[in-house]
Amino acid sequence: MRNVPGFSRRTVLAGVLAAPALVSPALVTRAGATETFVLGTWGGDYQRLQLENIELPLVRQLGLEAVIDAGDEAPRVGKVLATRRLPRGPLDVVCVQAVQAYALADAGVLEELTPEKIPNLARVKQALGTATFAPHIWSPQIVSYSPERVTSPPTSFGDLLDPRYNGKVGFPDNNFFYVMMAAGLFAGGSANDFVKAKEVMTKVNANGLRLYPSTDAGGPPFKTGEIDIGMMWLARISMWQNAGIPVAAAFPKEGCILYVSGMVVPKNAPNKEAAFKYINAMLDPAAQLGFARNMGYLPTVTNAPLTGKVAEQLALPDPAPKLIMPDFAVTTKIQPEIADWWKKSIQHG
Amino acid sequence: MKPSPAIAFLGPATCVVALLLVAPLGLLARYSLNKYDPTELMIEAATPANYLRFFTEAFYWDVMRTTIVVALLVTCLCLLLGLPLAYRLARTTSRWKSAMMLVVVLPLFIGSTVRTVGWMILFAQRGVLDSLSVWLFGLHIDLMYTPSAVVIGTLSVNLPFMVLTLQSVFEGIDSRLEEAAQGLGAAPGRAFWKIVWPLALPGVGIAAVLSFILGMNAYATPVLLGGPRFQMMAPLLFWEFNTNNNWPFSAALGFILMATTLLLTTLANVLIPRRYRA
Repeated sequence: MRNVPGFSRRTVLAGVLAAPALVSPALVTRAGATETFVLGTWGGDYQRLQLENIELPLVRQLGLEAVIDAGDEAPRVGKVLATRRLPRGPLDVVCVQAVQAYALADAGVLEELTPEKIPNLARVKQALGTATFAPHIWSPQIVSYSPERVTSPPTSFGDLLDPRYNGKVGFPDNNFFYVMMAAGLFAGGSANDFVKAKEVMTKVNANGLRLYPSTDAGGPPFKTGEIDIGMMWLARISMWQNAGIPVAAAFPKEGCILYVSGMVVPKNAPNKEAAFKYINAMLDPAAQLGFARNMGYLPTVTNAPLTGKVAEQLALPDPAPKLIMPDFAVTTKIQPEIADWWKKSIQHG
Repeated sequence: MKPSPAIAFLGPATCVVALLLVAPLGLLARYSLNKYDPTELMIEAATPANYLRFFTEAFYWDVMRTTIVVALLVTCLCLLLGLPLAYRLARTTSRWKSAMMLVVVLPLFIGSTVRTVGWMILFAQRGVLDSLSVWLFGLHIDLMYTPSAVVIGTLSVNLPFMVLTLQSVFEGIDSRLEEAAQGLGAAPGRAFWKIVWPLALPGVGIAAVLSFILGMNAYATPVLLGGPRFQMMAPLLFWEFNTNNNWPFSAALGFILMATTLLLTTLANVLIPRRYRA
């Protein structure tokens, strides 16, 4: 300190002590009449639709207001795991895919959800939920294709291997794990057959596979003619169709892997009562239909039948396709290994 | 000398730097030695496994090589384009000088991610460039998700920083020195090379280092313009963090990237002759 002219420990400490006086007005929080809870969710359309269809019409009138913690799923799951030993966790409601919900339940960090706590759980389609996971939306994975350039609609995942589509096959990279399950289902007859899945995906990659950095980036290439065929959720196809993108859905004969996303409550959630009320509102038929109309995802409750254009767009074919729920006991353990293989062999291959 | 009360203002800044930079780095260093577990997230350990994983797998070397090549290429292009521009800006006496400076600074008014979205519109199939090329030459240009797109995008992010740094360097060199050299018979090029260049070299080095560091740590541009197949270190680090929740390996990747950048920056400094160093 002696070497710096005019710089002494006392003056520096004085500055440190004075600093809170400058910032303290900013730290004064709003004292509101409503009770708050923290909702860990994805940003973008999903968060906006949660606000429009769940919070504003159904939750605010209960005197509750959600504080949003928006971000990607993996950091959210990481946050729940990292804070598991704290008496009060950072999140009350955590939005996750079923695959991650199973992993969190396996780690023993989730509160059990029952119809006594959440009355609307009684009307949930049993196959979609678990004892700790309330399903919000679901959609089957289908073969997406351009009805303008693909003359005969695809019938299975195997169409992605057709040399006619060389350089014209593509999908968003972030769906890789579900695409791998679809590849296993096609090549080995089981969504768990990741050995066969790797073999067939290597061939799809050699057929000029194009990967896109986000889900939204996967739609416009059908319009520009960059790709003719890919894999996607039925929900996204209806969203893209509504946005004027010429794309259609074909149900693979070997079956469709299901995407299910919903909500969980950590055991150390600070405001569990509010979390239960929010999840109950999420399962309300009006909120469920709002998501079907705006996002194309199918309702997870039995008392929200679809009607009109939405029903037509999201109708499953007759005879009904095979719907395959991922085997979560397997997916939880193998996902990191598949992610590593995908990065090195498909992205870098 | 009596301490100035203004020095007290150094206290909060020092504390903020210590708390928000040094402390997280310390925490990150600790994490990088932990073991990864998909259920437990991390298991406390003191293992070099995460660092060994990087150095023993060819894939990661390849990603590091790509990152260094892109950062070096962008830095060279920035120097090539930025030097004449900065020199001209520094020496001009035009009344439009302020407006010209504003044009250079203008891209910095918009976030680099938003600017990258602009490049995406330009580079996309049936985008502006592709449509123009088809109209003029009947040829398609497929720039999106290519290394060229990443280099152009990163160049556009780094160039204003390079020009602004170099312009202030040239402003600091007295123009009368060049006039004196020319008065003694040196051609303008020779006067620049013999007088201005040696004086500017320390500043040029700093500008190059700035651009190189920005290039090494580029994230949004490689992700959005390079796509999932173009692998650079920052997107790879985020993949490990965001897809696998592998915090220990992500932390190790962060330190390896930081150490490599530091090492190459120090090497660059060594390459500049001692008498010209800042």
